[in-house]
Amino acid sequence: MRSLYYRLRFGRPIVLVSGLPRSGTSMLMQMLEKGGMPIVTDKIRSPDEDNPKGYHEFERIKEIDKTTDKSWLKDYRGQVIKTISFLLQDLPLDLNYRVIFMRRNIDEVLRSQNKMLDRGGTGGALVPDEKMRHNYEFHLKKVYYRLAHTPNFRVLYLDYPAVVADPLAAAKSIDAFLGRNLNVEAMAGAVESSLYRNRQTPAARHA
Amino acid sequence: MFGPKVKLDKALYEKIKMYSHIAGYSSVEEFVHHALEKEIKQFEGAESEEEIRQKLKGLGYIS
Repeated sequence: MRSLYYRLRFGRPIVLVSGLPRSGTSMLMQMLEKGGMPIVTDKIRSPDEDNPKGYHEFERIKEIDKTTDKSWLKDYRGQVIKTISFLLQDLPLDLNYRVIFMRRNIDEVLRSQNKMLDRGGTGGALVPDEKMRHNYEFHLKKVYYRLAHTPNFRVLYLDYPAVVADPLAAAKSIDAFLGRNLNVEAMAGAVESSLYRNRQTPAARHA
Repeated sequence: MFGPKVKLDKALYEKIKMYSHIAGYSSVEEFVHHALEKEIKQFEGAESEEEIRQKLKGLGYIS
């Protein structure tokens, strides 16, 4: 009922793929693209060692926290935009959103981010991992609260290891969530388990 | 004045009343308002937000 009200009031939802950077959001974008969803990307950031299949980013959304005119977002109703969790708080609330939120172990995320920083030559981790883990944990709690308490958002949470382990099940849950009759087999085919790097060992996970 | 109301137990309310008077606040409301704002500031942690921002900027995920 609530969803119908927001649909009538704000129109077709924008689909957001979100999560912490290096949590599998690019993989989700690839799945959606293969499944037949229109993807919003400017391809400015090209594929590299960290993301061999590309980033699927849209530069304009990366500046959403600094701009006051956000009306351009309306043009992307019904399409998919990758939006990291940090920027969800800056989205205008005169639109309707379906968020597919990828969750991944924070230690794995940090390891992957640090490798990326080292490769990029930007000096690696300036803040100790322990502090960053605490920062991210708190950040995610805020994000989950906002998503649960802001009626413009409907959210599907996915866990990265589960998506890699059973991509078809993940594809079906995404399709059910979006209700778009996507090609779930093609979506599942976009998942490459070999790209699940920096994974935490079972011993470390239970330490 | 007509905003949301919060229930406090009597003993805590009496303490707040006493300390707000001693500390020179003009009312219990002013004291509670100030104390809560101070507490929230801790959680909003400008420092941790800035650390995340810097990291994400370094990674190229925000401009």
